[in-house]
Amino acid sequence: MSRPPAVPRDLERAPMVGADERVVEVAPVAAPATTREWLRQNLFSSWPNGLLTIVTSAILLYLAFRLLRFVFVSADWSVLKANLRVYMTGRFPVEELWRVWAAVYLVTALAGISRGMLLRTRWTTTRVLSVAVPVVLLIGALLYLVDSARVWLLLGVAVAVLLVGTVVGRRLGPTRRAPLLVAWVLAFPAVILTLRAFGGVKPELWGGFLLNVIVATVAIFASFPLGLILALGRRSRLPAVSAFSVGVIEVVRGVPLVAWLFFGQFVLPLLLPAGLAVPNIVRAMIMFTIFSAAYVAEIVRGGLQGVPEGQYEAARALGLRPARMMALVILPQALRSTIPAMISHFISLFKDTSLLAALGLFSELLRTARRASASIEFIGLQAEALLPAALIFWVVAFSMSRWSQRVEVRVGVGER
Amino acid sequence: MSERTNGEAMIVAEDVEKWFAGFQALRGVSTTVRRGEVVVIVGPSGSGKSTFIRTINRLERHDKGRIVVDGIELTDDIRNIERIRSEIGIVFQSFNLFPHLRVVENLTLAPRNVRRWPRAKAEEKARQLLERVGIPEQARKYPSQLSGGQQQRVAIARALVMEPKIMLFDEPTSALDPEMIKEVLDVMKELATSGITMVVITHEIGFAKEVADRVLFFEEGRVVEEGPPGEFFSNPREERTKQFLSQILV
Repeated sequence: MSRPPAVPRDLERAPMVGADERVVEVAPVAAPATTREWLRQNLFSSWPNGLLTIVTSAILLYLAFRLLRFVFVSADWSVLKANLRVYMTGRFPVEELWRVWAAVYLVTALAGISRGMLLRTRWTTTRVLSVAVPVVLLIGALLYLVDSARVWLLLGVAVAVLLVGTVVGRRLGPTRRAPLLVAWVLAFPAVILTLRAFGGVKPELWGGFLLNVIVATVAIFASFPLGLILALGRRSRLPAVSAFSVGVIEVVRGVPLVAWLFFGQFVLPLLLPAGLAVPNIVRAMIMFTIFSAAYVAEIVRGGLQGVPEGQYEAARALGLRPARMMALVILPQALRSTIPAMISHFISLFKDTSLLAALGLFSELLRTARRASASIEFIGLQAEALLPAALIFWVVAFSMSRWSQRVEVRVGVGER
Repeated sequence: MSERTNGEAMIVAEDVEKWFAGFQALRGVSTTVRRGEVVVIVGPSGSGKSTFIRTINRLERHDKGRIVVDGIELTDDIRNIERIRSEIGIVFQSFNLFPHLRVVENLTLAPRNVRRWPRAKAEEKARQLLERVGIPEQARKYPSQLSGGQQQRVAIARALVMEPKIMLFDEPTSALDPEMIKEVLDVMKELATSGITMVVITHEIGFAKEVADRVLFFEEGRVVEEGPPGEFFSNPREERTKQFLSQILV
């Protein structure tokens, strides 16, 4: 059997230049020598460009000045300082807060272990800065906001748990992924039990950012499999199954989420069996899940359409039955291509948990912030009350987006 | 190679017809392929040759006629379809490797999930086959990192891993750059001498002359002419065959 001669890989993959093709040589682009040169080339290359640069920088500098003056001089952060606990946990009873801390430690430990096991961070200057700057800002803010030594201690423990987890994860190495996945799947019920079990706190009293996180987590992890089933159902050859799936998707997508949340509160109880009392927060979670599932289904459908027919044929010809063909050949390819759209959807779902405020029943983060600014002692401090809530949403959403980019690189979206 | 043409029947097609939404792709194809026989199918595009070999392992359902593979009749019964598919390997024009799996995983997927082989056994088999097609060093790569010729050789190995009695080839070299065709044909020639039953759609006349026992000429969903390659290429009977050969033998 003839074997191709061993050729270095980069040569092997280089495009071949035909004999009659002219090789066009391009002069290397010289990097500008000095900062002055760089400025001239990029910002002041012509009169209009120079003018634009000056005007834009003037506006930006002015805005930055006003913002900094607001944050450090004119703002009265007393409203945030007095309500920090309420922002985070709403009406959660103070004497039961240890449950929240325990849940936080559980999740940080797992996060640390996962980081240690899966991520090999190379500490470039940019990356050090991208971690150090937010950490310094956060510590600065906390120095102002948190007086209690007990809270500092508890936060310190969280950091310690994260670091120890990372070290443990690094020791374990990247091979034990299956147990890690199981641990994450079990973590959620464990968190709920920690909050709820053994004379714990009723879901009615969960609130603040804690509530946003719990509702979003439930909706994301429950709507993913449900959406997958709807997407596969929509492609089913059985007319009843596909019509049902299309019906669910179209009806759910066609009505605003707020309307579905009200439906969950006022109509759903009428449809459920009389003796079954489902707590209103659970009904809200159900509505978030169903709403999200319809969107997940459409995202997955898009991914499925991107898998060529030849993949199905190859799988079938090898004797794979439909379920295995889907699980091993089709879905891995389809889902990989949906990561950007999927994360985008989950980010907006996370932010949409603030719509719980519209129901007037739950003290989630946004409602907590508005209530804080409405109390007599903090009157007129709307900006100080609302901006931190926005910042918290942004930090989580941005982290999700960064994380998804790393996942994309890892699984090679757009490469294979 | 006439001893190959007298064995038991591996594939029997009787009067096979196939319609696609108002268009008849196969208009009564009958032929018998014997054990160990190498049959090459030629014909203009749209003549139904690809549809025909795809009906043999039920990638297309035939609408009329009978197909029997190694004594098993191809019906709507899923058990028959599964048994027949387990006896047939197919190689596609566009390779259809699984892009998310490494080369070795492409090969072990079916044995591990259909035959329930343990991983070590499947990987050993995969290693042997990659050796046989001449690319054992590529096992840990992803398909997109290979050249077209290498990808097609992986696809052949993947089809062989289920130890089929029959191999179908649907224009295996038409998507390849010219310099890569030979490496794939070499693998196919080696296969042909190993005694496996092969049905090959190709316009590589050199290959057909060298290894085929019989050549079928398809046109408009029918077998217009068939015969041993020497006779078929040098002295075709039908006018239509002569015309076609003069076009591809420029």
